[in-house]
Amino acid sequence: MLAFDTSAAHCAVALLCGERIVSSVALMAVGQAEELIPALEDLLTQEGLVWRDLDALAVGTGPGNFTGIRIGVAAARGLALGLGIQAIGVSGFEAAAFGLPRPLTVTLPALRRQIYAQRLHEDRADAPEVTDGMAEAMSAEALVTAIVRIAAKRVGQDLPRPAPLYVRAADAVPARDPAPTILP
Amino acid sequence: MTQTLTLLGIESSCDDTAAAVVRSGADGALILSSFVWGQTALHADFGGVVPEIAARAHAERVDLCVERALAEADLSLSDLDGIAVTAGPGLIGGVMSGVMCAKGLAAATGLPLIGVNHLAGHALTPRLTDNLAFPYLMLLVSGGHCQFLIVHGTDRFERIGGTIDDAPGEAFDKTAKLLALPQPGGPHVEREARAGDPRRFPMPRPLMDRPGCDMSFSGLKTALLRARDSVIAEKGGLTVADRADLCAAFQLAVCDILVGKSHRALDNYLALRPAVPAFAVAGGVAANGPVRAALSALCDEHQTRFTAPPLSLCTDNAAMIAYAGVERLLLGLVDDMRLAARPRWPLDPAAPALLGSGKKGAKA
Repeated sequence: MLAFDTSAAHCAVALLCGERIVSSVALMAVGQAEELIPALEDLLTQEGLVWRDLDALAVGTGPGNFTGIRIGVAAARGLALGLGIQAIGVSGFEAAAFGLPRPLTVTLPALRRQIYAQRLHEDRADAPEVTDGMAEAMSAEALVTAIVRIAAKRVGQDLPRPAPLYVRAADAVPARDPAPTILP
Repeated sequence: MTQTLTLLGIESSCDDTAAAVVRSGADGALILSSFVWGQTALHADFGGVVPEIAARAHAERVDLCVERALAEADLSLSDLDGIAVTAGPGLIGGVMSGVMCAKGLAAATGLPLIGVNHLAGHALTPRLTDNLAFPYLMLLVSGGHCQFLIVHGTDRFERIGGTIDDAPGEAFDKTAKLLALPQPGGPHVEREARAGDPRRFPMPRPLMDRPGCDMSFSGLKTALLRARDSVIAEKGGLTVADRADLCAAFQLAVCDILVGKSHRALDNYLALRPAVPAFAVAGGVAANGPVRAALSALCDEHQTRFTAPPLSLCTDNAAMIAYAGVERLLLGLVDDMRLAARPRWPLDPAAPALLGSGKKGAKA
């Protein structure tokens, strides 16, 4: 199984072969769209594998940089369609909670001194939200490793296609100028 | 020998997610499928396309559109010879989603990846529909663009003029909004204008007294707003007849500007003495009946063939991207996995910037 995450200023990739995980992280503020596929191909080549050898894909769905999570999700969905295999989305909340006893509340850093928070229960999760606060980010390597481990347990389940987890609504203001009255 | 090539096209640069399959061979090109998933309803409350909303929709729709286009063409990925995708210009979030999905497909299948300039897709459409020979004159007129191009080849476009501010399609949309008509505004303004008197409200025709093929439409919008507000100040609202007259005045002004500047563009183009002169118009505004009729009449006067692709190929679609991909693939113009999505990407890098500057570079 091949996993990747571009939800923050990194391009993190990991390959799970049996019980062994190899990963590679490149830190970058921009350029994930250009670097992601070559990074995945490098990792496959390094392990003597080709795309067709993969059984499933996993992708980090955020929350995080909106453009970044779209890059990861769109690539995962394209690869899954091209290979005829399943792509599994794993959120940053799930990754941070990996291996920890539930219920627990996970907090992740957001922009402008805010945090994303979500309470995770044994078999469900409350709606995530944005609040004021400070939180520590996971390392990109820990993140992508947790993603591949979590996704590996879900292979074969009937899951929706990966979708970005935005938490924040799109920043858009309804049009202000009222339309003129049309007289009879 | 002419090769048969079958390409998938992907388009996601504005508010339509689209995928199509085009096959080209000795007898020209054939559209096997063309699926467009519009987002009009998502943006309806905001009076225009909201980039973040568009980007969110594209990211979760591109692969679904590809599946739909393949199913409609009754083909699988293994029947394809390449994957063409709009790599710009446009709203970067959407372009990025299309490019990443295309890269995923190309990496997975080993098929060549071909990044296509969205404007080149529009500009090459007359070859898909009418097999036009190079060089031909092109007026690209949509909600986001307005430019005259002499199309010399698959990858060689000479821009001889364009708008220095708004695009006419955008002006149609804003006119509709100012007059309480639904979006997209073009068809509604056209319908209202049929019953209107275009002479009642005088509208400006900017830059018509200047040489060259550059155009301006922002003043027209302001003039329309002033005329509307003076009627509202007088009556407390607009009657249906007032609205029809405003639409007719606006549409005639757009038409006059496009025809006047097309006349000059034709003079420039015909000076090249093309063997079979042809003028093509594409983009959403090319669907406007009076604009089309006036340009067609102009071409008749100049013994020049006039073509306008059918509406479904004038507005944003992926068949044009797949077709442009065919032409590029035949020339060996293939991209690698580092293909970048570009918000700005002028077709004619040699022409001086008409719009935009600074770090991001020229918009047109």
